[in-house]
Amino acid sequence: MTRPNLDILVPAYVREFEPYIPSKPDPELKNLYGCPRLFRLNNNENPLGPPPAAQEVIRRFPPLQGAVYPSGDSYYLRREIAARHGIDPEQILVGNGANEVITFVIKAFCEPGNNIITADKTFAVYEWVATFSGIEARVIPLKNYEFDDRKMLEAMDANTKIAFICNPNNPTGTYWSRERLINFLDGAGSDRIVVVDEAYFEFVEKEDFPDGISMIGDHPNLVVFRTFSKMYGLAALRIGYLVGDQGVVDMIRRTCVVYSVNSIAQEAALAALAHGAEHIMETRRLVRESRAFLCEALAKMRLPVIANEGNYLIVKLPGSDTLAYRKLMREGVMIRPMTGFRYPNHIRVTLAGMEAMESFVGALKKILN
Amino acid sequence: MNSPRGKTLTLALTSEDRYLPVAVNFAENSARAFGLGNTEALHLRLAVEEIFSYISRSVCAGEGIRIECANGVYYTQVCFRLPVSKLNLGGFNITSSFSYDSESDLEEMGLMLASQSVDHLQIRSEGNQRISLILKKEKAYPESVERVSVPQDAEGLETETPDAEKLKVFSLLAAGSDPAAPNLFKYPGKVVDMAASGECFPIIAVNGRREIVGGVLYGYRSEKTVQLLGPFIFHEGKARETGEALIEACIGRVARSKALGLLSFSGLPEFLAGGFEPLGSLVYFSEGKPPVPKKSFYRHLHEDPGCEVWTHESMAGYLREEYGRLFLARSIRTVRDRGEARDEGASLFAAEIHRERAQAVLRPLWPGGDYIENIEKHVRLLGGDGLLNIFFELDLGIPWHAGLIPALSRGGFKPGIVLPFAGVSDIVIFQYHDATES
Repeated sequence: MTRPNLDILVPAYVREFEPYIPSKPDPELKNLYGCPRLFRLNNNENPLGPPPAAQEVIRRFPPLQGAVYPSGDSYYLRREIAARHGIDPEQILVGNGANEVITFVIKAFCEPGNNIITADKTFAVYEWVATFSGIEARVIPLKNYEFDDRKMLEAMDANTKIAFICNPNNPTGTYWSRERLINFLDGAGSDRIVVVDEAYFEFVEKEDFPDGISMIGDHPNLVVFRTFSKMYGLAALRIGYLVGDQGVVDMIRRTCVVYSVNSIAQEAALAALAHGAEHIMETRRLVRESRAFLCEALAKMRLPVIANEGNYLIVKLPGSDTLAYRKLMREGVMIRPMTGFRYPNHIRVTLAGMEAMESFVGALKKILN
Repeated sequence: MNSPRGKTLTLALTSEDRYLPVAVNFAENSARAFGLGNTEALHLRLAVEEIFSYISRSVCAGEGIRIECANGVYYTQVCFRLPVSKLNLGGFNITSSFSYDSESDLEEMGLMLASQSVDHLQIRSEGNQRISLILKKEKAYPESVERVSVPQDAEGLETETPDAEKLKVFSLLAAGSDPAAPNLFKYPGKVVDMAASGECFPIIAVNGRREIVGGVLYGYRSEKTVQLLGPFIFHEGKARETGEALIEACIGRVARSKALGLLSFSGLPEFLAGGFEPLGSLVYFSEGKPPVPKKSFYRHLHEDPGCEVWTHESMAGYLREEYGRLFLARSIRTVRDRGEARDEGASLFAAEIHRERAQAVLRPLWPGGDYIENIEKHVRLLGGDGLLNIFFELDLGIPWHAGLIPALSRGGFKPGIVLPFAGVSDIVIFQYHDATES
């Protein structure tokens, strides 16, 4: 049988899309780059791992339970999240990482001919999912490293269905205040959904930083994303969720694949929420110390830094970031080159433990010399 | 290289002499309908006549073929899609000849002869035992000698995508202010049509008064590699800022595309070179002028996932050195002859000929047992046809390509530069060096 005619079978917007190539597993990378040890400072992972209670859940998970399907709609976890925010569990959808809930939302509201609005230099997955779904992604340049609310509103038209705001923004760490967010929600109006991705919510200590979930009651066009991958250290288990107005969530639920969140992830996330307060404090302390250390070290090296909220910062290099990535890999340090975020010559570094930070600074000095 | 985005007309027929008038009239009439002038349409007709005669007599007589004429806006493309079998593969080498009557060697070579009437000829493998022969004939554009004055300042710098009129002004500025700018810019109408066809994408830098202070063109050399032309900077006062803004805008456009790398074969100003990786130099020859070495630069757009590359042991040292210098993670594998049975038939090389640059690029399409002879024949006949720049590209991701390395070395080719991820994995561009070169 001849091969399927992929030129006819596959929509052009899928054919033209470049699949994301994730980095190879650590042992392969160490072998390729000849480094005996590798500090992973590329994915904004929490070096402390999950909260102790969640670690205990993972350790004690009964192997026989592996044969049993998980709760299809994360029943207990939704109840816990709802109780903590004083909302109805039906306002919550849990997904296989926040990436999956991005897909749910775009599928629910958009069809070819529609568009979404986001920024040029932000988390890429909003733009990717829209593009390979045949939806136009309008990317508005950041202004002073922040989402440009005025330009985003101006870019909206009758076909605009969703605006994606990353708050705080990955990678610049800037954020919109509550007042600014309210103005934007009002400007977007009831014909559009505004998604506020709060993946790094738990890292922000500023008083004017808004809690999006608390604003949904007054702004039913708002949908908020949260994740367990960052602060709660459960990235390997892939679990995140969205919260919105019940009517809005009821529509999104129609595009949502049940059973996509495994049992260990649900139970570990539940434990992380219930017993994570100390873990949050400890992580925040570590991030504060690492940020201060790195900012000082990088200032001494006369390298410009964009350091705001979140467990990461950006460094501007005198040359190519992708070349720096390869050189740093040889030194056993893995960072995120920012060309893919449209920040050429910049790298993003996860704020981790001091040993990793010192290794990064040492390696950076070496490759720049 | 992009396929033309405009209208395509298709003719299906069998390759028999009696259909020759059908094929040539189809090509000529299509070319005229797509806007080619009389002279160019006739040249294209001549090339189609040569190719149709050649294939119907010598390589796939009586087989079903398709001829597609496509409107590339600034050119008309004719593509012959043909079935191939192992028996006739060698006949698709551009240097292959067939014997009839008493014509001389060169006159018998249908493909080579066809290449002389067009601007570009390419032979490509389409898989499923099919080959494409692609001819391009460009429109004739009026040369512009108009001088445009250079802006007095570059304050309030911004980048934008120009409309057709601004693109013409940019072309005139590039042609008038930069002696190294390619001839292309003397034909602003062609630049506009190239942008309309999707062959290249322009970005310009403007000052606060919206005057053009610089610009760059970029286009897809392959699916994974974007090639830069420029940047061209018209105001020295803010040359660095202008150049950086143009490169940043270009990266912004392609960073989330299929492209893995950004490539410059035309050199970069020193203040921009730091953001790129120097790949090395290729030397370009043109009639009556001294050879010009041009540095090539590369900028990776993603994290290097590393890969496996295949080579002959004679080139392993060169690759180790290059990969070490470029900090690319590669597992270098060496092909070895273990006495296994090999294909002793005729090898096939794809040829891409650019007349305006006196350049031929060869790529292996099919292995065989005649590498030394085939390389020697290509060099002799392409060189004899006035093509002074002969390159041979090997894909290090395809193990059998490595088997060509000793023959290339013996035939006067030397590795020039490594293009990361330009093929299945990396591509090495070999350049032919005439033994008489000093």
